Amino acid sequence: MLATSLGASLFAQLLDPAALTLFNQPAGIWPTYNGDYSGRRFSNLTEINQSNVSLLKIEWAYRISGIGPQRGVGVPTIKSTPLMVNGILYFTIPDHVFAVNALTGALLWQFDFEDHGGHLIGQRGVGMYGNWLYFLTPDGWFISLNAKDGKERWRHKVADEKLQYFTTMSTMIVKNHVLVGVGGDAMDVRGYLEAHDPETGALQWRWWSEPQKKGDPGSETWPNQAAMDHGGGMTWLPGTYDPDLNLLYWGTGNANPVFAGQGRQGANLYTASIVALNADTGKLVWWFQASPHDTHDWDNVETPVLFDAIIDGKPRKLLAQGARCGWFFVLDRTNGHNLVSRPFTGTGNWAKGVDSKGQPIPDPSKEPQIDGSMIDMPAMGATNWPPPSYDPQTELFYLNGIEGYGVAYLYDTSPDPAGYGGGGGGNFDTRSSLFAIDIRDGKIKWKHSHESGTARNDAGMSGGILTTAGHLLFTGDSGQLVAFDPANGNILWHQRLTAAVSNGPSTYMLGGKQYIIAGAGDTLYALTLAGK
Amino acid sequence: MTFTSTSVLLLAGFLPCCAFGQLPDGPNRETVQRICSACHPAQIVLGRGMTREQWGAIVSNMISRGAKGSDEEFAEVVDYLTKNLPPAKKDAGTPTAQTKAIRPRNLIDQAGADDKQVVDEDAAARGKTVYIAQCITCHGTKARGGERGADLVRSLVVLHDRYGSTIGPYLAKGHPEGKSLALTQDQIVDLSHFLHQQVGDTLRTGPFNSVLNVLVGDPKEGKAFFNGPGKCSQCHSTTGDLAHIASKYDPPVLQLKVVFPQTAAFGRRAATNSRKPVTVTVTSPSGESVTGVLDEIDDFSVSLHDDAGHYRSFQRGPGVKVEKHDPYAGHVALLDEYTDKDIHDVVAYLETFK
Repeated sequence: MLATSLGASLFAQLLDPAALTLFNQPAGIWPTYNGDYSGRRFSNLTEINQSNVSLLKIEWAYRISGIGPQRGVGVPTIKSTPLMVNGILYFTIPDHVFAVNALTGALLWQFDFEDHGGHLIGQRGVGMYGNWLYFLTPDGWFISLNAKDGKERWRHKVADEKLQYFTTMSTMIVKNHVLVGVGGDAMDVRGYLEAHDPETGALQWRWWSEPQKKGDPGSETWPNQAAMDHGGGMTWLPGTYDPDLNLLYWGTGNANPVFAGQGRQGANLYTASIVALNADTGKLVWWFQASPHDTHDWDNVETPVLFDAIIDGKPRKLLAQGARCGWFFVLDRTNGHNLVSRPFTGTGNWAKGVDSKGQPIPDPSKEPQIDGSMIDMPAMGATNWPPPSYDPQTELFYLNGIEGYGVAYLYDTSPDPAGYGGGGGGNFDTRSSLFAIDIRDGKIKWKHSHESGTARNDAGMSGGILTTAGHLLFTGDSGQLVAFDPANGNILWHQRLTAAVSNGPSTYMLGGKQYIIAGAGDTLYALTLAGK
Repeated sequence: MTFTSTSVLLLAGFLPCCAFGQLPDGPNRETVQRICSACHPAQIVLGRGMTREQWGAIVSNMISRGAKGSDEEFAEVVDYLTKNLPPAKKDAGTPTAQTKAIRPRNLIDQAGADDKQVVDEDAAARGKTVYIAQCITCHGTKARGGERGADLVRSLVVLHDRYGSTIGPYLAKGHPEGKSLALTQDQIVDLSHFLHQQVGDTLRTGPFNSVLNVLVGDPKEGKAFFNGPGKCSQCHSTTGDLAHIASKYDPPVLQLKVVFPQTAAFGRRAATNSRKPVTVTVTSPSGESVTGVLDEIDDFSVSLHDDAGHYRSFQRGPGVKVEKHDPYAGHVALLDEYTDKDIHDVVAYLETFK
C-alpha cells in the first residue's frame, strides 16, 4: 500500500541538507530531534490554530507490540521525537528503531538490537544524513542503518558499558559530522562529545568535558589530575547549532562523584555548563557554568535554545536555557555573555547570588550534609530532558518544571569519595508546573501549576513542549495531550491518551494536512483536524 | 519488512535479569516485581537478608528516591521482603556466616555490562587477606588508591576484569614494577572478588549508601520550636499522637516524616506507615455539594469517596468549585519557614520520646 500511496520517488529521495536550518524547517518535514537547529520547537504551521483546535482528533495511533517489559524500566516508553522525512516517521525506544508510514501509522520496518548491558532509561531518537540513519544503543554502539529498509550498514563502539557509560542520545547531524554524546555517572568517568564521519563512522574529533591535564585552561578549577580524570560531565542530550557562527551549543552533565564534592574542591569546569564548540574541530570557544561545583546531580544538559530578538533596540543573537538547577539563563550566543540569570522555581536558595559572569555562586552550607540540608527546590532538579520551547510570537520561553523542596544528604565522608557518595532524600511535596518565562528579565509571565500531594501518578505536566504560529502550545498534562494559549496559559483543547505524554510533540504538513505527533508510553499518536 | 523475532526479543528483555535468579514465590511477589522494577531489576534484592525494620528503612529510602505506589502496595513490598528474605541464621560453626548475613552481595546496579561479576562473599573475604598482605600499602584500605598507588575501584583493569581475567595477566606482567607477585590462580580469583566487592560498594545501590546520622540537633531548642514558632503543638502532642514516636521510626525516617509527613515511610515496628487522607469538597453549578476522601484530581476531573463509601467523579469546569483540605497544610507552610537547624532540633526533641 505504501509504495502506491507515496510513489516510487519515495526512497530515491534523500534528506536534502537544505532542510537542516537554524530556524523554520520546511513545512513537510521534521528532520532533526528538535525540528530545526535552534531547539525552539516552534513551527510556522497555522492550519491548526486557536479557531479550530477544538476539531483536533486522533487520526491514527501506533502501539509498540511484541517487545514486552524492558530491563529495569518496564513498559516501553517513547521518549524519542520522531523524524519525519519523505512521508516516513523514524522513532525509537531503547534497542529498537521503528519506521512508520506518517499517513497511516503502518509499520514499514523495525530494527531490533540485543544489548549487552547499559541503562535502558531512554532513547531519544535517530539522526539522518542522506539515506542513512544513526542510532545509539544502551551499551555504546553507534549504528548506521539504511532508512529504506532498516538494514545495518556498520557499527562502531563509542562508549564502554563496563565503565557504566550508556548512550541514549538522538544523534545530531551538522554538515558532515554525526555528533554523539554519552551518559553514565555511576562510576566517576569523564564525559565527552564526539564527531563521526557519516559515511564511515570514523572519529573526526572528541571534546572532553574536563581539561586534559593540569595547566590546561580550566584545570585550576580542579584540585588534581585524578579528580579531573573522574569528573563526570555527560553529554547525553542533543545540542543546538548556529550555521552562521559554526558553533555547536551543548549542555554538560553534573560533576562526579555526584553528591560528595569534598574530593573535587573548585568549580569543576566544564561540568554542569553550556559550552560553545567549533563544529569542525570540537575546540571550546566559550562556556557558561550553570551549577558551579555541582553537588546535587543537576545535569545541565537541558536544550540551549537559540533565538534572535531585539533587546534595548538592538537585534541580538541569543541563547536561553531553563536549567535543572532551577535557574533561567539568557546569553549572547556569539560570546557567552550573560543577559539574564534568575531562579524560576523557589528562591534559588542553594546559591548566594551570581558572579561577574552571571553564574550562580553555590552556598557551601546548602551542599549535601551528613544530617541533611534542605533546599527550596526538588532535590532531583527543577526540570530535566523533556524539550522546552521558545515562541517568537510571544517572546516567551516555555518549560515543564517542578517546584518543591528537597533534602540532600552526604553519605561518603571520606576525603576521596567515589560514585554517588550521597543522595537527594526527597522528591516530595512537589508540584509540577508549565512555566512561561519572559526572556528579557527571566520573570514568570504565567504559570500553570498542579497541587502537590495528589494520589494519581500521572497528574501533572509531562513531556516536552511544541509551540506553533497557530498561537498554540502543545504539551502533556495529567495523561492528556493539551493545547494551551501560549499568551496566557488558558487550556483550549485536551485529549486523553493511554498514558502520559512521554516525548516532545512535533508537527508537519503531509498530504495537505497538518499533523500533531506525540508519544505517550508505548503508543505514538497522530492528530489532525476533523473533516480535513 | 520487519526484523522482529519473538524469541530474540524475549531474550533481550529478560536475559539480564536471569543472571540474578528469580524472586521466590509468595504472596505479593507480583507487587514487588511491578513496583521495584520500574527503576531497577527487582531481583537486586536477592542475596540480601534483613529484618522487617531494615527492609522498611530500605523501602522508605526507595520511596524518597521516587518509587511509585500506594501505601498498601509499599506495605505489601515490606511484607514480602521480610517474609522471603529474612536475615540469615547465625551459625556459630561457620565464621563467615555472620558477615554474610549483614553484608549484602554485590549490588552493581542496573547500568554496566550484562556479564557483571557475581561476587562470591567467601572468596571476597579470602581475597581481602590477599589484598591486605600484598596491595593495601599502596592502594589504600578501600582500594581507592593514593599517593603511591592507583585507584583500583575506578581502574580499567579491574572494571574490565571478570574472575581474574585481566587482573591475572596484568600481575603476571610484573606488578609492582620490578617485583612480581607470586599469587596462585585461586588467589587471583579471590582478589578479583574482593575488588569487585569494593566496586559494588561505591555504587548507588551499594550497602553504604544510606543516611549516616541526623541526630545532631539540640532537644531543648527543638522543644522550644515545637511549642513556639513551629506551632507543632497546635496539632500534635508528645503524650498523645506522638507518644513513643522515636520507637516507631529510625531517626532518618523520623526526619523524613517531620519534613514531608505525607510521604509513606516505614519504621521500627512493622508497617507503621499511616497517611492522613486529603479530603475535598466539590460544589456543582446547581449548588449541590459533596465532601469525601480525595481519589484523584487534575485539571480536568476530580474524584472522591464520599462518607457512604461511594465513588463520585466530576468534570472540572466553569462553575464547579473544588476545595481541597490538606491535613498537612501546616507542614507545607513550614517548608518556607524553618532552617536546617530547626529541623534537626525538632528531630532531636522527638527522638527523646522512645
